Amino acid sequence: MKWDFASVFSNSDALLAGLIGTVRIFAICLVLGMSLGLVVGLGRYARARWLNWPSTAFVEFFRNTPVLVQILWFYFALPILAPFEISPLAAAALGISLNSAAFSAEIYRGGIQSIERGQWDGARAIGMGYGQAMRRIILPQAIKRMLPALTNRAIEIFKMSTLASAVAYVELLQQGKLIASLNYNPIEAYTTVAVIFFLLLWPMVQLTYVMERRLRRDE
Amino acid sequence: MSYRWDFGPVVANAPLLLQGLENTLKVTAVALACGLALGLGFALLRLSPRRWLSWPAGFVIEVFRTTPPLVQLFWFFFALPLIAGIEMTPFLAAAVTFSIQSSAFFAEVFRGGIVSIERGQWEAAYAIGMSRRQTLNRIVLPQAVKRMIPAFLERASELMKTTTLVATIAYADLLFEANDIAQKTFRPLETFTVAALIYFVVITAFSLIARAMERRLAVSGESTVH
Repeated sequence: MKWDFASVFSNSDALLAGLIGTVRIFAICLVLGMSLGLVVGLGRYARARWLNWPSTAFVEFFRNTPVLVQILWFYFALPILAPFEISPLAAAALGISLNSAAFSAEIYRGGIQSIERGQWDGARAIGMGYGQAMRRIILPQAIKRMLPALTNRAIEIFKMSTLASAVAYVELLQQGKLIASLNYNPIEAYTTVAVIFFLLLWPMVQLTYVMERRLRRDE
Repeated sequence: MSYRWDFGPVVANAPLLLQGLENTLKVTAVALACGLALGLGFALLRLSPRRWLSWPAGFVIEVFRTTPPLVQLFWFFFALPLIAGIEMTPFLAAAVTFSIQSSAFFAEVFRGGIVSIERGQWEAAYAIGMSRRQTLNRIVLPQAVKRMIPAFLERASELMKTTTLVATIAYADLLFEANDIAQKTFRPLETFTVAALIYFVVITAFSLIARAMERRLAVSGESTVH
């Protein structure tokens, strides 16, 4: 068989549109997932029951159900309850963001817990309240320890963005599907998509290795 | 909200959902078994002192850890049959993809576990005349596997969640059946909610077992690798 990548590259406009779509949903889910994750993580860390219990339920539910099920639920089921239309982007972004929030919440909680009791005592001794101590003393130190795990989460989010193709959101894989069906060249189309993802994600993966090594050396 | 919930159509289709769950568990079990065996192979290749063995193994591991699983599945389902000239069923594509994909993750777990065993264990085994393979089989792996169990269990529940992707290539797993029922009965809210709950129950049960095993290991004083 003869490989013919020309038929893929002549559709580079479509691939570019897909890449933009992938980056857009990645950015949305990264920001939403990581910030909501911090809120839920703080809730998990809190001693007050009314904060701790709902956060735990949220984490358990979203960690223990598949993302694709969540996306399809938001796309097909939610519109029946909600009085508004839900776009493929909104459904996929909701599913991926909530799922990532649950996973990153556990990273935040673990990071915060890893900070020694003395740091809290010290902050309190100089008159800081809970919020101040968390913001100025605990989180800055904890973030450093969480960074490799959070970067790993970001990579997972990037990979999960392909699931948006299941609700026909225009991203890289969806465009690969389109090109393959128009030109009858699935080998070249899907290989190209796979290579693009690899080239985009490989540097990020290497970065996590470097960060993990540095962290291990520092501690 | 005036919507009236009606789980009747979902209950009427319960046998289909159960069939789907069975298929989900089937593909998970196959990928888990093949992934573990293949993963050990990849780990040993990667740890080999010979560059021409360790380098390609490392490359395969990196590729399958780095690219999205759905892209891999589409590649194996749509592209591979044309290259290899073989018939590809959704089940076969799913089994092959998730076996290799999980083997890449398992390989890193195995490698971490093997590396975590102290140098002295190897030296002592060599000193009493064991070969590299004997040392690995009798001394290093039995100790390493115990430390790796939590990481394995975590991967296994990840795997079950990842298998939902097979619904996109029309393998009749739980999610595919739910989608089908939702369209037939016009009850997507009830059907997808029930499907999500089934996944939740199965995966939660699994992670509870995993946690119990982890605790037992912690009690026996072993450190674990992730």
